[in-house]
Amino acid sequence: MLNSLIIFFCKIISNISKALNLGHGSTWPGHIALKLNPHFINQLLNNSDTKVILITGTNGKTTTAKLLQTILETNSKRVTLNSSGANLLNGIASALIVSSNLQGNLSEDFAIFEVDENTLPQITKTIEPDYIIALNLFRDQLDRYGEIDTIAKKWKEAYTKLTKALFILNADDPQIAYLGDGLKNTHYFGLNSKGNNVEEHAADSILCPKCGKRLTFATHYFSHLGDWSCLSCGLKRPEREIQNDIFLPLSGTYAIYDIQAAALVAKLIGLTKEQVNQGLKKFQPAFGRQELLKIAGKNIQLFLSKNPTSFNESLRAIAEKDANNLLIILNDRIPDGTDVSWIWDIDFETLIKKSMNLYLAGDRVYDLALRIKYSLETQKYEIFENLEDAIYIATAKLNPNETLYILPTYSAMLEVRKILTGKKIL
Amino acid sequence: MKNNFTLTIGWLYPELMNIYGDRGNVTVLQKRCEWRQIATKVLRLEVGFRENELEKCDIILMGGAQDKQQEAVAKDLFAKATVLNTAIEKGIPGIYVCGAYQMLGNYYKEANGNKIKGLRIFDFYTESPEQDGKRLIGNIVTYSEKLNYRLIGFENHGGRTYLGKKIEPLGKVVKGFGNNGIDKTEGILYKNSIGTYLHGPLLPKNPLLTDYLIKQALEIKYQTKVPLKTLDDNLENQAREAIAKRLSVAI
Repeated sequence: MLNSLIIFFCKIISNISKALNLGHGSTWPGHIALKLNPHFINQLLNNSDTKVILITGTNGKTTTAKLLQTILETNSKRVTLNSSGANLLNGIASALIVSSNLQGNLSEDFAIFEVDENTLPQITKTIEPDYIIALNLFRDQLDRYGEIDTIAKKWKEAYTKLTKALFILNADDPQIAYLGDGLKNTHYFGLNSKGNNVEEHAADSILCPKCGKRLTFATHYFSHLGDWSCLSCGLKRPEREIQNDIFLPLSGTYAIYDIQAAALVAKLIGLTKEQVNQGLKKFQPAFGRQELLKIAGKNIQLFLSKNPTSFNESLRAIAEKDANNLLIILNDRIPDGTDVSWIWDIDFETLIKKSMNLYLAGDRVYDLALRIKYSLETQKYEIFENLEDAIYIATAKLNPNETLYILPTYSAMLEVRKILTGKKIL
Repeated sequence: MKNNFTLTIGWLYPELMNIYGDRGNVTVLQKRCEWRQIATKVLRLEVGFRENELEKCDIILMGGAQDKQQEAVAKDLFAKATVLNTAIEKGIPGIYVCGAYQMLGNYYKEANGNKIKGLRIFDFYTESPEQDGKRLIGNIVTYSEKLNYRLIGFENHGGRTYLGKKIEPLGKVVKGFGNNGIDKTEGILYKNSIGTYLHGPLLPKNPLLTDYLIKQALEIKYQTKVPLKTLDDNLENQAREAIAKRLSVAI
């Protein structure tokens, strides 16, 4: 079947699905296109001058994609990207259907695709990217993704097969940095701030990715990110291309990595620092990722928190903002991971201010409450079985000019947005 | 009530064997002791620890890990197997979860047929499922006859464990997979040592088990029965009921 016919057909499906609000609009058309022509993505991309940027990692994919999109669009580049959550092949095909014309031509300069950790090897078999960004690897949804060593191994195999890509890698994460070992065209980003000498509990990659011996850290940023080296085989953190004096549109140390990665790619594309900063100044957070909402005159800010590392970093980011009102929502649905034991790896003991008004909700609210009971004995908290009640009561109790910070897991974040904005995402 | 009881909790390989939130077991043991004025001391036993430190422990905990970490740990623990075995035979309460549980058996047979030697402290073996075999994942409820108590947790394991004739299971599976998904057994119980696939972690939602371990530890250390003050377990029970309700089982 001709691709132009497939596109015509799938554009209709996409529009109907959007008009009827059926959901799955971001994956269905692509699914059908790939059924009709398994080489659909490849052929479309080969037929165009569109440069492909892949972004993968446990935390920060969506934010990095949006940062890069904003920087590029501010500088008059045309960009397409797959919607967050639609990060399998069908989501990518769907994005291409929407942005191509009926002749099957893509007019975009760049296609930015965020890619699920597990499907990266499959996607690089189909798509030869021009740029590939690896942000980090943390323990996350072990019931779904499995162990990070297994993922890192699959990535390494996939990376060595790529011939034209520039590899943009986090030098501070040992497993990610090691992906570049033996490869050409590597560019490393990292953090240029002062670290500390405390190793966090939820540090996953503390053994040398090459020889398996214990790594030494001259400094820690968070989790297992830091200035690392192996005294046994000599592997160490590679030289980094840090982008100095760039505008930071997001708070939190973890966000600096996303900004550094996006800025480095923008530089490799040929943009100047001024152009990068112009873009960064226009940046608006992706939904649920430090997104600000104003409801009935009250401020609410969402910090998606989906694994121990992202949760710890969210707690640190809101502490910098002197947060006094916190609602935590723990769900255990498929997109969250069905195993909630990771909440015991969060450092509540040191990261929650005792005077905080704390509200707890979600499918596993009692597990969450137990975690709080055993970490902060004197902490007062309220338990809500109903999420709307939690949001309503927590918001109603806010003093003027105060903000309610919400730390939700993924499905909880979608629920909160639906309640607050009446819109359903996905 | 003032007393002079002190328990030393030995946490084996906290840095490397900690992947399923097993730190929670340590926290819960500590708190439930503290709330009864029983002092606790946690010994973090990392790779290279001295054997006499393990001899000081009144309770031992060890969690699961990824393969590479597990290899590093196995090498270290093999050299100390005799001391660990002595503690276990003495009745020192212990919880060995997931990877730690598997390590204490006879062997672990990988999908390619390769056998990884276990410490052979308990009579059981574990087999990896065939290539691409399903992992056994989900909320689990088992019944412990010894405690007359339902244990609630979460399991996530590829390996299938089969018990020898002389070893008792920790519980009978009420809902979930258990040791191998077939024979309805879960974990092992030998003297006061527990091997199990239950994380979640295990202790927060099973306060009766936690208290049982504390009691046994005190009795062994002080050679007398120590009555434990009753604690308010309302929240623990609500958490148990929430899962039981979801799985449509009674607790």
